[in-house]
Amino acid sequence: MFRYIVKRLLSLIPVLFGVSIIVFFLVRLIPGSALEMYMGTQVEATPEQMIELQRIFGEDKPVPVLYVEWLGRILQGDFGYSLRTGRPVLPDILSRLPLSLELTILSLALALLIGIPQGILSSLKRNPFSDVINRVIGLLGLSLPQFWLASLMVLAFANFSGWIPMGNYIKFSVDPIRNLRMLLLPSLAIGIGLAAVIMRYTRNSMLEVLQMDYIRTAKAKGLTKRVVILRHALKNAILPVITVAGFNTGYLLGGAIVIEEVFALPGMGRLALYAIYQRDYPVIQAIVLMIATIFVLVNLVTDLIYAMVDPRIRLDDGGR
Amino acid sequence: MKSNSLTRNSIVMTGLAIIGVYIAIMVVSTFWLPFDPISMDTDHILEAPSLATGHLFGTDEFGRDILSRIMKGSTISLIISVAATLLGTLVGTFMGVWAGYLGGRWDNVLMRIADVLFSFPSLLLAIFVMAILGEKTFNVVIAIGIVYIPQFARISRGAILTIKSSEFIKAAKSNGASSGFILRKHLLPNILVPLIVQVSLSLSVAILLESSLSFLGLGVQPPAPSWGNMLSGARKVMVLAPWTAIYPGIAIVLLVLGFNLLGDGLRDILDPRLRNVR
Amino acid sequence: MNNDSILRVEGLITEFSTDHGLVKAVDGVSFELHRGETLGLVGESGSGKSVTNLSILRLIQSPPGRIAGGKVLFDGHDLVKATEEEVRVLRGKNISMIFQDPLTSLNPVLRISLQISEALQLHHGLGRKEAKAKAIEMLRLIGIPDPERRADDYPHQFSGGMRQRVMIAMALSCKPEILIADEPTTALDVTIQAQILDLIKSLSAKDQTAVIMITHDLGVVAGMCDYICVMYAGRIVEKAAVDDLFYEPKHPYTRGLLDSIPRTDRTGPQRLYSIPGAPPSLYDMPEACPFNPRCAHAMDICRRAYPPEVEMHGSSPRTVSCWLHAREGNA
Repeated sequence: MFRYIVKRLLSLIPVLFGVSIIVFFLVRLIPGSALEMYMGTQVEATPEQMIELQRIFGEDKPVPVLYVEWLGRILQGDFGYSLRTGRPVLPDILSRLPLSLELTILSLALALLIGIPQGILSSLKRNPFSDVINRVIGLLGLSLPQFWLASLMVLAFANFSGWIPMGNYIKFSVDPIRNLRMLLLPSLAIGIGLAAVIMRYTRNSMLEVLQMDYIRTAKAKGLTKRVVILRHALKNAILPVITVAGFNTGYLLGGAIVIEEVFALPGMGRLALYAIYQRDYPVIQAIVLMIATIFVLVNLVTDLIYAMVDPRIRLDDGGR
Repeated sequence: MKSNSLTRNSIVMTGLAIIGVYIAIMVVSTFWLPFDPISMDTDHILEAPSLATGHLFGTDEFGRDILSRIMKGSTISLIISVAATLLGTLVGTFMGVWAGYLGGRWDNVLMRIADVLFSFPSLLLAIFVMAILGEKTFNVVIAIGIVYIPQFARISRGAILTIKSSEFIKAAKSNGASSGFILRKHLLPNILVPLIVQVSLSLSVAILLESSLSFLGLGVQPPAPSWGNMLSGARKVMVLAPWTAIYPGIAIVLLVLGFNLLGDGLRDILDPRLRNVR
Repeated sequence: MNNDSILRVEGLITEFSTDHGLVKAVDGVSFELHRGETLGLVGESGSGKSVTNLSILRLIQSPPGRIAGGKVLFDGHDLVKATEEEVRVLRGKNISMIFQDPLTSLNPVLRISLQISEALQLHHGLGRKEAKAKAIEMLRLIGIPDPERRADDYPHQFSGGMRQRVMIAMALSCKPEILIADEPTTALDVTIQAQILDLIKSLSAKDQTAVIMITHDLGVVAGMCDYICVMYAGRIVEKAAVDDLFYEPKHPYTRGLLDSIPRTDRTGPQRLYSIPGAPPSLYDMPEACPFNPRCAHAMDICRRAYPPEVEMHGSSPRTVSCWLHAREGNA
C-alpha cells in the first residue's frame, strides 16, 4: 500500500513538470506583452530606462533560461510580483485560496449529499418509466450552465441579501454561520451538475450490485432490507462513484471561477480572470499552475481513497 | 425487452428532434430574422415580451430583439461547437491511434502530453488558451478543441489497444498487410462506436464551454450575439428585466440537452457492453 | 430416524415471464422433509431444483418470477402466503441456504467475521463482541487455521474451499432447523468436494439439522442423502429412499441417470452411456410426460397425458410418476 502511494507520487512529477512548462511557455505567447502595455501608459523612456525595464519585465534573456530561473524561484516559493499592483503574487493568491477551496469543497459535499441518496432511492424502483425519468433528469442536470443557474439565483433571491453574497463576503473564521449561508447558493450552482452525474452513477451502480450473488446471500440470512442496501449493497456500489466524483472536481474548480465572477466573490478564480483581462502574467501563471496542481493532487487522492476503500486492492501486496 | 428498445430509440429521437429544430432555426436565420440582431434601438430598451410589439422574447439593454439574437446566436454556437469538436476529434484521434498502434516510446510521449493537458480543468484550460490567443471568435474553436484532444486520444488509444492484440490483426499481419492498410480496414471501424458517442457528448460540452467563455468576455465578442454574452449583458439589468436572463439560458439548456440525449441514447444502442442494468 | 415432518411442499408452481413467453420452472412439486433427514434433490440444469429451493425461501426475483401456486408449510405457516416480513424472520434463523459459488456469494468488501456475526446479532440478539467471539469459534469449528487473525480477513484472501466452509459456518451459526445446500460442491475441486460434504454431514448431524441437498451429481447423493427426489423439467418424477432408488430405480429417467455413471467394477471395455436427446425447452409444454421423447419405453398415453404420481409398495415410502407404473399401487 505504501509502495503504491510512493509510486503514484513519483509519477506525478513528470506531469507537474509538463504543466509548468505549458504554463510558462504559453503565457509568454500572449500577444501584447506587459511591457508594451506598460509603455503604452508611459510617455517616453530613455535607452537606459528601456534596458532596465526590459530586465524587470524579463525580456532580456532567452526564454529557456528564463524558464529555469522561473522554476527555481517557484520552487522556493517566489512567484514574482504582480505587474498591476507591484505586490508579491503569492500572498495575494494565498489570501484568496481559502474561499475558492471552500466553494469547491462545499459544492462537492452538496453534490454527494444530494446525488447519492437520490441515486439509492431511485435504484429501488425498477420500472421502465422511472428509469427514463431518472436518465432525463440526470442529463438535464448536466445541461444546465452553472453561470445561468447562478444568475437565476441572483434574480430569485435578490431580496434575500443574507443568502446572496454580493461583494459582502464574510470569512468563515469570522462568522461561520453567515459564511455558510452565503456560500450555499453559489455552491449549489456549481455542484448541481455533478449531483446529477453522481445520482446517475449511484443508481446504475446500485442496480448492478443488487443483482449480485452476495446480495442474495445477505437476503437469505434474513437481514432487513435496510441493512442489505446500506451495509451490503452501498459499500460496493459506492466505489465507482468515488472515482467519478474525484475526477469531476475539475468541473467544480472551473465552475468556481465563473461563479466567483457572478457573485463577485473575492476568490482565486476571480483574481485569475482579472489578471487575464489585464495581462498580468505572473499572476496568471501562478494561479493556473496552482489550480492545475490542485487538480492533479485531487486525482491522486481519489485514486488513493479508492485503493483504501476497496479491500481487494488495499490488501493486495500483503495478501496470503 | 421491447419497451426498453422503444425507450432507447425515443431518447435518441428526441435528441435528434431538438437538434433538428436548432439546425432549422440556424438555416432560417441566415436569410430571415424578425428584427436586426445587432443594431441598437434606443427607443425600445428593455421592453417586456409581448405579441403586440413583435418582440416575442422582449428586448435587451440596447433595444435589440432577444429572439432574433437567440436565433442568430444559434448559428454561432453550433458552428463553433462543431468545429471545435471536429478539431479535437481529428487531432486527438490521430494522436491516440498512433500512440496505441506504435506503442513504446511514442506511446509514452504522446500520452504524457495528453496527461498534462488532462491535468487542467476544462474551463480553466479553455480560458487560459483564450488568454494567450486573444479574444477572437475563431480562437474559441481552437481553445475548446485543445480541451478535447486528451479525451479523444485516450478513447482511440484504448480502442486500438484492445484490438491490437486480437487474433484477426495477427492474422492480417501474417498475411503481409501493411500498417496503413490494417489501420484503415480493421482498426478504424472498431473505434468508430466509442468515438461517435464521445463526439455527441463533446458537442454538448462544447456549447457549455463556449457560452461560459462568452459569458466571461473571453469568447464571442459583442455585438455579435452568443447566448453566453447575452447573459453577461443581462446581468446588470435582469432584476428589472428578467426576460433578458431567462430566454438565452433556456436556449443553451435545450440544445445541450438535445446533444446529451443523443449521445446517451447512442451509447445505449451502439454499445451493449456499456449498457448498465436498467 | 424421527418421523416428524418439518417442511412440506405441496404442488409448488413457480413461473417466469420471459421475452418468449411464460416458463413454468417448477410445475407442481411436492415433497416432505423430516427432522434430521438429508433430502437429495437431483436433476440436470434447468430441471427446476434451484428454483424450487429459492421459492421455499421466497428469494425468487419478482418480476420476472412469481410463485403461482401451491403451499410451503413450515411450522404451521404457509410460506407462500406469508408476508415478506414473516418470511424474512425465518431466513437464516430457521431455514438457511448456501449457494453454489462461494466467490460471488460472499460480499467482497466486508470482513468475514462481520458476515458471520451479523446473522448472530440479528437472530440471537448477541452483542458485537459476543457475536465476533462466536464467529471465531465457528471458524475454528469448520477447520480454518488461526481463526482469530483470519476472522478480520476479506473473502478474496481465502481459497475456494475455505470460502465454502465460511458459507457453511454462516448458514449454520444460528442453528437452523433446515439447511438448503444449492450445489455446494459444484464449483470446487474434486479433492475439496469430499471435505465440504463431510463438513456438512458432521455439522448437521450435531444439531439434527435437516438438509436439502441440491445437486446433479448422483455420487454426492449416494454418500449424503437419506431420501431422494429426482426432478425433470420442473417436476418430481421419482421419490425414494436412497438405497431403494439406487438398487431399484423405477422411472426410466432415473435408470438412465444411473446407467450414465461410469463404473469401475466392470471388467472389459465399456461404452459410456448417456441418455439420448436433450431436456425439453420449458416454453409451451404440452400435456404429456416431458421425458417421453427420450424414453425407450414411451407408450402412446405418454404423449397424451401427464402420468399421475403413484405410491409404490415398499419398506419405506416411495412414489413415481410414470405410466409404466400407473397401475401398480394406488393412483
